[in-house]
Amino acid sequence: MCNVFYSMSRIVIGLLMMMYGTVWAQHPVEGLPEHFQSYRISERLDYTQDNLYDYINGAAEMYLSYGLVGMRGCRYTAENLPDITVEIYEMTESRNAFGVYTQSRDRDEHTYGQGSLTYPEASLFWKDRYFAVISAPKATPESAAAIRFLAETTDKAIPQKGKLPAIVGLLPTEKLADGGTLYFHHYIWLNAYFFIADFNLLNIDGQTDAVLAKYGTPEQRTYLLLVEYPDGTATEEAYRQFMQRYAPEAGNGKSIRLEDGTWFVGWHNGNRLGAIFNSPSKDDAENLFQAIISKM
Amino acid sequence: MNITRRDLLKTTSVAAVGSLILPSVVGKAWANGQQHDHSTVVLIRNQNLFAGDKPDSAICSQMLDEALCRLTGKGKADQAWESIVTAADVVGVKTNGWNKFPTPSVLEEILKEKVLATGVKAENFSINDRGVLNDPVFRRATALINIRPMRTHAWSGVGTLIKNYIMFSPKPSSYHDDSCASLAALYDLPEVKGKTRLHILVMFTPQFHHTAPTQFSEEFTWKYNGLLLGFDPVAVDATGLKIIEAKRHEHFGEHRPLNPPAKHILLADTQYRLGNADPSKIHLVKLGWDEASYV
Repeated sequence: MCNVFYSMSRIVIGLLMMMYGTVWAQHPVEGLPEHFQSYRISERLDYTQDNLYDYINGAAEMYLSYGLVGMRGCRYTAENLPDITVEIYEMTESRNAFGVYTQSRDRDEHTYGQGSLTYPEASLFWKDRYFAVISAPKATPESAAAIRFLAETTDKAIPQKGKLPAIVGLLPTEKLADGGTLYFHHYIWLNAYFFIADFNLLNIDGQTDAVLAKYGTPEQRTYLLLVEYPDGTATEEAYRQFMQRYAPEAGNGKSIRLEDGTWFVGWHNGNRLGAIFNSPSKDDAENLFQAIISKM
Repeated sequence: MNITRRDLLKTTSVAAVGSLILPSVVGKAWANGQQHDHSTVVLIRNQNLFAGDKPDSAICSQMLDEALCRLTGKGKADQAWESIVTAADVVGVKTNGWNKFPTPSVLEEILKEKVLATGVKAENFSINDRGVLNDPVFRRATALINIRPMRTHAWSGVGTLIKNYIMFSPKPSSYHDDSCASLAALYDLPEVKGKTRLHILVMFTPQFHHTAPTQFSEEFTWKYNGLLLGFDPVAVDATGLKIIEAKRHEHFGEHRPLNPPAKHILLADTQYRLGNADPSKIHLVKLGWDEASYV
């Protein structure tokens, strides 16, 4: 009797796990309609990290640098109307979906998901582990309406929200430019806002979290870089390498004036490394430094 | 090359560092005593190129002829074309077919017309992009013409003439490391080496920014109405890059470096010796409309 009960329990638990697993694993593309208005699905897209090149060639590398699981989506066609393509990129973690989003936007709107941007021909947003791009080759009133509908539908098909990377929460918000943060953990993106080095000067890799932020106005930008390493030893090694090459005359947390008249501060603290570039004055550099130190 | 911003601040002018990072870096490389020949690049623009949304075929043809005459030093268009391909050649036109921003078909048609007019047999002519390795004409090609539009790119900084040959590799992704730093090595592939007779960078409506890697938006293009022609792909790409960088600065109201930087253009010069990226080594010939040319 005991064995029967045990076996029945295993079956019930197994069934529950299967059901739960199915819900958990459901891809948002499955929430998209077969047809709407005069549009109908004409092609389904399904790529993994191994063959995304077949779809977008070298542009796949950007997604791969953020831990791509795969991309699924579909193309809708309708007579005499522009095609609409839905691409839903699934990343290993929500922080990576956020990272891809920060690569793609230069201002923040919050129409869809956890952050979105809409252009005449496209909407893109991130939510949970997903980054979605809904686009048409050209903008018409019909395609714009279809993009809005599919963005809303895709948004609803992703039930959960993802966590922002903790390092982003350390950024002082005063004078932070709208859409002016970029989260990454591949050294290629170090120069996204400001040329710093054409090689991996800071030992940034998949084990590090890094964020770049823009402060001030376009006429007078200051750039802040924060990197979080797995441990203090890795931080100290990166700091030593960085400062030896970039500002050997500077001490930890000491501002120095560079050859172009701008101010620089580099520091490390625990498992975090920071640097302020291009500050217009010593006071501005030190104020930003104090603002971030107070949050660390 | 392992260069930091601080290196540049110590060795070059503040203005150079603040504007175009690539020429600054290249300038430093030359300062180390490397010697290069000059390269000629022809920029031709026509204010009336577009009739509505479509480039005018007759104007395109005229622009190509005029630019090629200047590049080759020939007085007549037929002589200019015959100086780059002959009737005995097997000619492959390596185009770019990215569906959102392809090489304008009108230019492909004109190239076909010009090449066939030199006496090249129709069966010895092909236009292809992703299928070049399996194209029987490309497989026995004796001459290549490289043509593509310039646009920003999510991994290589910009899509260039140098990059356009990536489809000659059986494994294109093997050239992706370090933001496509080694693309110039493509020019050593046997399918390519020594065969290119002309490079054409289409600057009709260049794309100076993108939002998502697969995304194309007209918002980030403008009617520049130009073509860049040359025999040195590095020099042509470097000139195109300068135009893109200047447009980005104007559009965003601040210096917005390409993300990532287009280091493959720099390395094509300094490491692979494929051509010249240093503006001081590029002889730029400007023809036609000159307003807001940025170079």
